Amino acid sequence: MDQQRKHTILMVSDFFYPNFGGVESHIYYLSQCLLKLGHKVVVMTHSYGKRTGVRYVTNGLKVYYVPWRAFLMQNTLPTFYLTLPIIRTILIRERISIVHGHQAFSTLCHEALMHARTMGYKVVFTDHSLYGFADVGSIHMNKVLQFTLADISQAICVSHTSKENTVLRSGITPDRVFVVPNAVDTAMFTPSTCRLSCDEIVIVVISRLVYRKGADLLVEVIPEVCHLFSNVRFIVGGDGPKRVRLEEMREKHSLQDRVEMLGAVPHARVRSVLISGHIFLNSSLTEAFCIAILEAASCGLLTVSTRVGGVPEVLPDDMVVLSEPDPGDMVHAIRKAIVMLPSIDPYAMHQRMKKLYSWHDVAKRTEIVYDRALQSSDENLLRRLPRYLKCGSWAGKMFCLVMIVNFLLWCLLDLWQPVESIEEVPDLVFIRNEHEDVVHDSI
Amino acid sequence: MEPSKWKKVAYGGMQPGYNDNYTDESFLEEMVMNANVVKRGMPKVMLDSVSITQYVCIVSLVVSVWAHTLSLHIDEISLLKLDIALLALGFSVLLLTARQLSIQLLSHYLLNISFFISGLYVLAPIYYTLTRSISSDSIVALTVSLLIIHLFLHDYSGSTIRPPGALKNPNLASNISLNASIVASVLVASRLPSRLHVFTIMLFSLQVFLFAPLITFCIKKYSNKVHLFFSFALMSMALSVVYQLHSMLFTLLLGLLFFISVVCPYWLIRIQEYKFEINGSWDEAKLCFDITE
Repeated sequence: MDQQRKHTILMVSDFFYPNFGGVESHIYYLSQCLLKLGHKVVVMTHSYGKRTGVRYVTNGLKVYYVPWRAFLMQNTLPTFYLTLPIIRTILIRERISIVHGHQAFSTLCHEALMHARTMGYKVVFTDHSLYGFADVGSIHMNKVLQFTLADISQAICVSHTSKENTVLRSGITPDRVFVVPNAVDTAMFTPSTCRLSCDEIVIVVISRLVYRKGADLLVEVIPEVCHLFSNVRFIVGGDGPKRVRLEEMREKHSLQDRVEMLGAVPHARVRSVLISGHIFLNSSLTEAFCIAILEAASCGLLTVSTRVGGVPEVLPDDMVVLSEPDPGDMVHAIRKAIVMLPSIDPYAMHQRMKKLYSWHDVAKRTEIVYDRALQSSDENLLRRLPRYLKCGSWAGKMFCLVMIVNFLLWCLLDLWQPVESIEEVPDLVFIRNEHEDVVHDSI
Repeated sequence: MEPSKWKKVAYGGMQPGYNDNYTDESFLEEMVMNANVVKRGMPKVMLDSVSITQYVCIVSLVVSVWAHTLSLHIDEISLLKLDIALLALGFSVLLLTARQLSIQLLSHYLLNISFFISGLYVLAPIYYTLTRSISSDSIVALTVSLLIIHLFLHDYSGSTIRPPGALKNPNLASNISLNASIVASVLVASRLPSRLHVFTIMLFSLQVFLFAPLITFCIKKYSNKVHLFFSFALMSMALSVVYQLHSMLFTLLLGLLFFISVVCPYWLIRIQEYKFEINGSWDEAKLCFDITE
């Protein structure tokens, strides 16, 4: 078998370090594992405060913090054509072969994919969230997604439920969508070295305290559980608009010594909060894929979660107790989990998680998607335009117009700043590792 | 060896024998289409549109009274008599259609009405000189646009002033429409020659705009047949009054009523076929309890 081709990948999204979240950690870990497999990865995102320009993070991952400010909810202002020059320069400088965009909510991702497609590069898109169909925001978002996915090489979704949702929203054929789930860094989330005693059961909740994450369900469930089980204690980490309701609930039922509110927990301290508990409670009302559950399972906690979205697919049945998003049912599930607790071995659970989820596996599967994307044929503008016409009777024609103008602007840029005048970046080779090897050899 | 069955799970890496883009037969099995859609029939929709045509006729009656007053065909004493007659009619409808007659409710209403009337009488001199420096054309244009906003945003199924037994709270759009109608009344009132004129026309306009929805809501709640009879009587009255005013406005009103009663229901039923409501496991869960803040 001849050697696998090495790709040069550009990851584009509005969401990256120094922010912490599902999409951010996905991009970071995937890039690191792809670097280990021998590919070259470059990340492009907007500037965060004073952090602009080119930075290098671990293992030589190059990040372009393009000098655009975040405009609304971490997103840059959609300008359609103003991002074309900078994206073209990055694509030519770094000799990119594939552009990989993340998250449907990110305007930078959609613009980058549009420009990459105009310039003839292969594009891949990963969708990380579930969206509805009925409200005004979702309808517009789905139309934008339909535009981006009309002419894409391949798409990736993080769970099977997410695949169904994406296929319905965008009208893409199902066999172009690959299901490659997220994973968890099991080396960072290890169970605690000493087993916790089962006299007092600690239930941990770490989430943003917003409506979407089910903070209202928590307000109903916590007093009920504290009333039914006298040896149960809660630790609630995270902040948000619903924190006030939780504090009120605490005051009303006098649970100050049984419910501990930690406030916002920085990402580095999440593990230490998790290992102080026996059970992890997740009450979200909608999740495409819940990484928090994986982190908890990797630390050896038994999970109790609501059966929404992609959550039933994430863990095997003996590591999670599912319930309907209803307070009575959740209390019942917590009771079941408390009964199951003595038979849970955190260390065994952690070892099992190492086999079930691994970022290296995710990187290999993503590599297969890239290989498939590169096999698709090159097409010129005229062959691609009919795909946009299918998006709708008015929208289709408008999208075609947008792509034609983009193409013309690209030709103009080609004349004004020819490809030869853009300097290509040489490959950076780290000699630090070799030096260490030399030191080892000499000993 | 028999290949293992494909499972809808995300753990365990790539499932042996299946690619990541494998689409199983159970794909989209749990999707539910058009679960909450109500099938509508033409006669029912036409009958329901009577609420809208009834209110349009009420507004056209108010506008014709304004036109007659501005051209000084009606003097202030007859307007005052009209106001008192309308008040008495409104109260009698309320009393007749109320399920339980309570003296407390009645005295509550009477107290509010007397406060309202005295307040209006005290404020009338202010309205009298409000728009003296503005030309009549601007006033007419502004009044017409405000009335159009009022008709568009009006809450035809309920009443902005909450009657006892109303289901939902007034929302932003119905409040905006009420304000638009009040401002239109003030603009028209400020064009009149004497303070008593201003007081009586303001009282008339506000009585209709604030309390007519309440009265029609009570009638509708009481009996559907009385509601239909009342609406047809109003429509014929409005059409005859407008006919005497101006023949072009009459044809306009007739066309509008036909459009609302016949064309719009037919159109609605035609485009209902395109309704495609999708529900599935990806939907955000709905909380089954109310959040009390």
